[in-house]
Amino acid sequence: MTSIGTSARKADGEVLLTGRGRFVDDHVLPGMRHAAIVRSDRAHARITGVDTSAAERAPGVELVLTGDQAARHTGPIPHFIDPAARGGRRAEVRCLAVGKVVHAGQAVAAVVARTRREAEAAALLVEVGYAPLPHVLDADEALLPDAPRLYEEWPDNVILHNHYGTGDVDAALAGADLVVTETVRIGRTTTAPIEPRGYLASWDRFDESLTVYGSVQNPHQLRWMLARSLDLDETRIRVVTARVGGSFGLKMQGHPEETLICLLSRLTEAPVKWIEDRRECFLSGAREQVHRVTVGATNDGRIVAVRDRIVANAGAVTAQPGWAMPNMSATTLASGYLVPNVEAELHVVATNKPPLNAARGFGKDGAHFVMERIVDLVARGLGADPAHVRRVNLIPAGRFPFRTATGLNIDSGDFPGLLDKALKALEYDTLRARQRELRDRGRYLGIGLAFELTPESADGPGTFVSGFDVTTVRMNMSGGVTVLTGVTSPGGGNDTAIAQIVSDELGVPLGWIQVVQGDTDRCPSGFGNFSGRGMVVGGGSAALAARDVRAKLAVVGARMLGVAPEEAEVTGGVVRVAAEPERSVAVPDVAAAVLTRAFAVASEVEPVLEATRAFKPGNIDHVPDERGRIQPYPTYSNCLHAAVVEVDPETGVTTLADFVMVHDCGVVINPALVEGQAHGAIVMGLGAALTEQLSYDDEGRLLTDRFKSYLLPRAGDLPEVRLEHQVTPSPFTMYGNKGAGEAGVGGAQAAVANAVEDALAPFGVTVTQVPLPAPVVLDLIERATAK
Amino acid sequence: MTRVNVTVNGRAREIDVEPAKLLVHAVREDLGLTGTHVGCLTGDCGACTVRIDGATVKSCSVLAVSAEGAQITTVEGLAGPGGLHPVQQAFWDEFGFQCGYCLPGMLLTACELLEDDPDPTDEAITLAVNGNLCRCTGYHAVKRSIRCAADRMREGS
Repeated sequence: MTSIGTSARKADGEVLLTGRGRFVDDHVLPGMRHAAIVRSDRAHARITGVDTSAAERAPGVELVLTGDQAARHTGPIPHFIDPAARGGRRAEVRCLAVGKVVHAGQAVAAVVARTRREAEAAALLVEVGYAPLPHVLDADEALLPDAPRLYEEWPDNVILHNHYGTGDVDAALAGADLVVTETVRIGRTTTAPIEPRGYLASWDRFDESLTVYGSVQNPHQLRWMLARSLDLDETRIRVVTARVGGSFGLKMQGHPEETLICLLSRLTEAPVKWIEDRRECFLSGAREQVHRVTVGATNDGRIVAVRDRIVANAGAVTAQPGWAMPNMSATTLASGYLVPNVEAELHVVATNKPPLNAARGFGKDGAHFVMERIVDLVARGLGADPAHVRRVNLIPAGRFPFRTATGLNIDSGDFPGLLDKALKALEYDTLRARQRELRDRGRYLGIGLAFELTPESADGPGTFVSGFDVTTVRMNMSGGVTVLTGVTSPGGGNDTAIAQIVSDELGVPLGWIQVVQGDTDRCPSGFGNFSGRGMVVGGGSAALAARDVRAKLAVVGARMLGVAPEEAEVTGGVVRVAAEPERSVAVPDVAAAVLTRAFAVASEVEPVLEATRAFKPGNIDHVPDERGRIQPYPTYSNCLHAAVVEVDPETGVTTLADFVMVHDCGVVINPALVEGQAHGAIVMGLGAALTEQLSYDDEGRLLTDRFKSYLLPRAGDLPEVRLEHQVTPSPFTMYGNKGAGEAGVGGAQAAVANAVEDALAPFGVTVTQVPLPAPVVLDLIERATAK
Repeated sequence: MTRVNVTVNGRAREIDVEPAKLLVHAVREDLGLTGTHVGCLTGDCGACTVRIDGATVKSCSVLAVSAEGAQITTVEGLAGPGGLHPVQQAFWDEFGFQCGYCLPGMLLTACELLEDDPDPTDEAITLAVNGNLCRCTGYHAVKRSIRCAADRMREGS
């Protein structure tokens, strides 16, 4: 093994650096047309009429399509994660609104024209008549009996109502020395990749087939969904994931435009491209939750019970998987802590805000924020150091696999070890002394700790969230290797790391290997990108396939060398005699022999230099235990975050002074790629903690529709983020690797919230929400000091 | 349509554009240089950054007609016959990008910085890329790449 564990540079580096990376908007097809979408400016209204006549007369326009017309050609879009599979409610989701709209920004009509400018101009001429209906934007209000209802066929606005956890919370609270109750709120954020979504659909009227280029994470799921909504056979659809410019969950499937753009191509019999603009991109929410928490602890700092009543605002229902994220906010409680009694009640609520789509963290971030606030509230209530309370409650290293009260079976870890490393990196005691010193001078430094447990590589029974994947390793006559895999990469570089695995397992140089992803006509059926699964199941299946091909090379190579197969090894592009390394034959010569001397030296083997294998990791178990708990994750990455902030109580401005993350994702295949993703996730969490929030007016119209009002962290907003590794191998994956890429968001957000509260301890402030922009901090100080 | 003459990556080009066309659209559609990306069209993200007569400009905030007579450099113009520009090389070696969408802006901004200031302070590096959004890297590796490029370019000169 030489490549695994090294920081091989990104395989697509030169292509991207020289401007040759072909993103979806860079694809141009002959006769291509452009689409623009007419969107509702009402949060909830009946559509009384759509007048397309002026738009149809506009220059360059070829088609104007209304919801009623679209419904004649397309069926409902199937759910990526069917709420019914989780005991929830479905809604009929269409590519254009039919009858009524349920959120501002919903697609109502579409225009196809020769150019994008012409399509956009004509879209402004479409006149939609609305009869307003009462709307509801707040999830608590949407739960009231007299709240406006989004879907007439539902008895209320609840997508899913569920209970999680085990133990006797009432009894534990009754016996606790300290009981704390608090309500904490997580603001609505969004993923905001720098490349928005986009699709280019091309209907071939001669053989009645459809090719779709898209900035998508899940090409095979999209093919299935399009087959259903367009009533086409799956064999007639090819989805090609163009290079993806970041996604973070946004580009998981179920967006109405996927079906819509394909329909427009079919109707116009021309290739049709649609690229989302930034304003449209900001419509997708990532999270918005309220947690009403009661926690009990003993005087020695042990947390004995957690009760959390969660209300999650999912916005309007779509086919995208985002509605399911709050499930994980509930089941990830009580994170990596030894809390025996946990009770979570979850309401996922539909409102007239735009829908959620998946977002890095997938709801686990909500659990981290709440749990880490809980630990600090307990520490404060007991007058104990937050680091001490964490140490008392973190699951000790010797207790794995550990089944949590909500059913997760954590595979492995050394959580106190993370804490030790983080405190050392901070020079915690010195920093506390400095904090006291600064406070005496009227400066408010705060230190926030946060543990983060990231269940990865999920499998949801009966949904498209699959916990395995499939890879083909194919060697050509020259010894070159094509790896075709079902996992995709939105930019993080798992293609490079998969090539590293194949290089080691097959025994050929990295440069011989090309990885192909995201093409349903070329790659085996797989499930794309989500849940930190790329290396767990993409890497695992690539290893198995590479071993099969290697075995064949060893047999034929050994025969060419005149030794027994078990005496031969494949390494560095040669088959050689293990005991006499100078006796070797080049892999390309062996490959040529397999394919051209199949009745001579290769007569003992089936002449196929190709293998397709699936990897199913261990530890997933969908048979409910005696308490009804299932176990959807093979492995659990974990990390500990430490944020140091300084808060100016005069202005409310929080400045990040230092940030440390100690990360354990098991065995690391490519350290630089993993670190890069961790940095990105941390900064996404820092944004969610301090500046990022989607805001709407009273009519449900998005106010934060550009980067001037939705504030992503910029380079100048950030300290030098420091990263340390700890390696606790998973017993359930191919190399002991755990998922990477998601960890960072929830912990960073929580650590900053805890740090702000710590900074403002002299004022008695309790942080009850994120984000914490200056006006919110000033308000918290004012409320605390007014008491 | 208005005729516009520009020199792009050292080559004289003549294009006919609508007077209201943004430079970024002319670069991508009329000049065929799709390495320059559209991220926001509001001048905030920097993915569309090009250099006009040496200065970095967000090409979504400039009309194509106003570039008449200008020397334009896009990301496609960075590498020379001898291979990658040292800034490109450093971004590759130091993992200064992931998805690559913001990359053209980061590269051109870094080139401008290092031409003006071959040995920039950390603060100067941060300030230079403050107008360029990246959602993948958290900027850590971006700044490290620019530092690496600066060091190599000074050693090389």
